[in-house]
Parts: sequence; C-alpha cells; structure tokens
Amino acid sequence: MSGEIHIPTLAPETLFHIGNISITNTMINAWIAIIIFLILGILIKRKIALRPGKLQNWCEYFLDLILGYFDQVTGDRKKTIKFLPIVGSVFFFILLSNWIGLLPGTGSITYGHNMLLRPANTDLNLTLAMSLVAVLSSHIFAFFSIGFFTQIGKFIQIKNIIKSIPKGPIAIFTALIEFMVGIIEIASEVAKVLSLSLRLFGNIFAGEVLITVISALIAAVVPTPFMLLELLVGLIQASVFAMLTIVYLTVAGSAPHGEEHHEEVHEVLKEPVKVK
Amino acid sequence: MNIINTVYASNESVSETEVLATETYTTTGHGEETSGVVASLGINAQLFVFQLLNFAIVAAILWFLILKPLTKKLEDRKKIINDSLDKAQEVETNLTMSQQKFQEKIDEAKVEANKIIEKAYADSEKLSEEMKNKAKKEIELLVDQAKRNIQIEKEETIQGLKNETVNLIIAVVEKVLNEKITDKKDRELIEDSLKNIK
Repeated sequence: MSGEIHIPTLAPETLFHIGNISITNTMINAWIAIIIFLILGILIKRKIALRPGKLQNWCEYFLDLILGYFDQVTGDRKKTIKFLPIVGSVFFFILLSNWIGLLPGTGSITYGHNMLLRPANTDLNLTLAMSLVAVLSSHIFAFFSIGFFTQIGKFIQIKNIIKSIPKGPIAIFTALIEFMVGIIEIASEVAKVLSLSLRLFGNIFAGEVLITVISALIAAVVPTPFMLLELLVGLIQASVFAMLTIVYLTVAGSAPHGEEHHEEVHEVLKEPVKVK
Repeated sequence: MNIINTVYASNESVSETEVLATETYTTTGHGEETSGVVASLGINAQLFVFQLLNFAIVAAILWFLILKPLTKKLEDRKKIINDSLDKAQEVETNLTMSQQKFQEKIDEAKVEANKIIEKAYADSEKLSEEMKNKAKKEIELLVDQAKRNIQIEKEETIQGLKNETVNLIIAVVEKVLNEKITDKKDRELIEDSLKNIK
C-alpha cells in the first residue's frame, strides 16, 4: 500500500513555467483533449462523405442523438444548429476531459511533487471560463435575435417607470417592483455563471478525490465501481452543463412577455370598481 | 496568489493518516497577491485566460473540423433523402397515371380490335359468299360451255359418221349395183333412205 495519499488541492498544481506563464496539470489534460479532438477532426474532415465510413457513422450517430435532446429544448432544429458551436463544444469537451481523467495515470503519475495529469474540470478557472462563455453567448444571441434594447430592457426597466408617472401611484409602484425584478435578474445571471461552474467543478473534483482516496486505500478492484460511477457522472455533468446552456440560450433568445399584460393591468387598475 | 497544497500521508495504517505538510506557496505571475475564498478555489486571472483560450481552441476545432462538416453532411443527406422521396412520390404518381392511361389505351385498343375483328369477320363472310357465288356461276358457265362443246362435238361426230356411212353405203351399193344408177340419183336415193332411217 502506498505510504502517502495525494489528495488533490482545490487549485490546480503548477507543474512548470514557460516565461511568466504557469502550466498546470489541468492544462495538460485540456491539451490532451485538444489533441484528441484535433486528430479526430482531421480524420473526419479528410474522409467525410455522403456515404459515411465507420468513424463518420459513429460520430453522426452520437451527434444525431444529442441533437435530438437539444431539439426537445429549442423545439427547432435550425435553432439547435445555431447554438451547436457553443453547446456542442461544451458537451463534448466536458465529456472527453471528464473521461480522460479516469484513464490510468491521472492522479498517479507525478511530476516533481505534483500530479502530472488531473481532470481539466477540477480547475475552477476552466469551468468558470466555460460557464461565462455560455451565459455571455446567450446574451449575444439575444442581442441579435430580439434586439439590443429589448434584451437590456429585461434587466433595466426604466422605461416602465417613466411611462408609469402619469398613470398614478399604483402604476409607479408596479414599475418600481419591475425595476427591482430587473436588478434581481442581473443577480440571477451572475448566479447562473456561479452555479454552472461550481456544479461541474464540485462534482468532478469530488469524484477525483473519491477515486484518489479509494485507490490509495485499496488499489485493486475496489475503485472499479467508483470509476464506473465517475464515467456516468462525467456524462451526466456534461449533459447537465450542455442542457442548461441551451436552455439559457433559448430563453434569452425569446422576446420578453408581459409588457402587454402589464398595460392591461394598469388599465384595470385605473378603472373604478363597479359594485352591483 | 496563494495556493494551498496539502499532502496527506499514511505511515503503516491509513487510519493514522496525518497531515505531513501544509505548504503554502505563492505564485506571483504579475506580482499581484489575492487572498480569501477566490484564491483558495484556485481562481487566477492568468489561468482563467489560458483556460478560456483552451476552450476557444476546443470550440474552434470541434465546430470547424467535426460538428460543422458532420451537420452539413447530415443536412445534405437529409435533403437528398427528402428530394429522393419527393421524386419517388412523383414517379409513383406518374406511374399510376401512366398505368391508368395504359389501361385506358388497352381498353380502347381492345374495343377497336373487337370492332376490327367483327368487321373483318363480316367482310370475310361477305367476300366468301361473293366468291362462292362467283365460283358457282363460273362452274355453271363452264359446265354449260362443256355441254355445248360436247353437243357440238357429238353432232359433228354424228355428222361425220353419217357422211362416212353414206360414203360406205355408196361404195357398197356401187359395187352391188355396178353402175345402174347415176351418181346423182344414187346420192339422192341414199340421202332419202338415210333420212327415212332417222
């Protein structure tokens, strides 16, 4: 049995420096994923045809499978294809980097005093970067689909306050509530980033710690069920991240409802109550 | 930036695991120090930018080398299949229409053929009747002609025979009578006699 249990730290370990740039073990893992995708991409790009080969067939099968799930959220294949550069990248990158983290060598090969390989998603910088890209891209898509001011109007509802002034105190009060709701919406956008990044980071990090501890206790056979579980967790986390991203993209791209409804409410409030 | 690197170790038994070292070291990429929760989670501006760059590279590779070509091919294939199905539907419709037209033409041809056959049958009946009549007439004519010829020949033969007989009788009588009667009287006598014989 090993004498030491190297429990991964929350922060990725710096392996070496290139100039001022710190190279961490999670970066190495991400680069491995990049190289795998690059090789796969070159193979697919070179051999792509209308009559698919084995590799293209498998890739198309998986792509079509996930497109079906994404379609259930967007309700339209065209929208799904529009969001695919972000959502597809997020899904496949998270999935591959999670599964690479389960390969032998991750956590066991050391470089200096640190692990050489560590799952890329146990780095909060990466999960934060991805979630930031997901949430920001949802707003960028919204700017193009519903318009810049309509999208901004979801969060900063000053127009309603100005409109409500001649309508009376109740309308002003309602407009103020709407303004506050807009502020809460801004906070919810920040929460989206935090929840996406922390969820993925927490799950994968916990899995890595679990496998590290179990492997250190009993190296053979016992970690296998946990590794199978982590295989599933990797898939689930990739799916959750991708599905939430596509939900954010779809919701952000839809026009805000309620302006007409609010107008109706104001009209109703202005009318005196008739008692029979 | 502070990164807390904790290494746990177990000597003989895992239960006796204890902290061997808690090393706190500082990586000063740009000489800035951060602390608190953000630092303990390992968030670092430089690392964040590099991971963002990593993700951008992954996204670019995935989209331009894998997802875009695959989705394009899927769409192309879908379009081809839809076009083929539409064409097949069109061909099927045309085939049904052609079959209907073909059947109509066949029916028309059958009716026409029946009419032609009936007409041909009637014509042939008529023609055969005409031919029969014509042949009958010709046969009758031939028979009549033959009969006449036979009659003429018969008469000629009889006449010849008569003449021969007359000559024979004359010769016989001449021999018998031996110049008692002149030739003229003899002939007249014989002819009378022959007429009486008839």
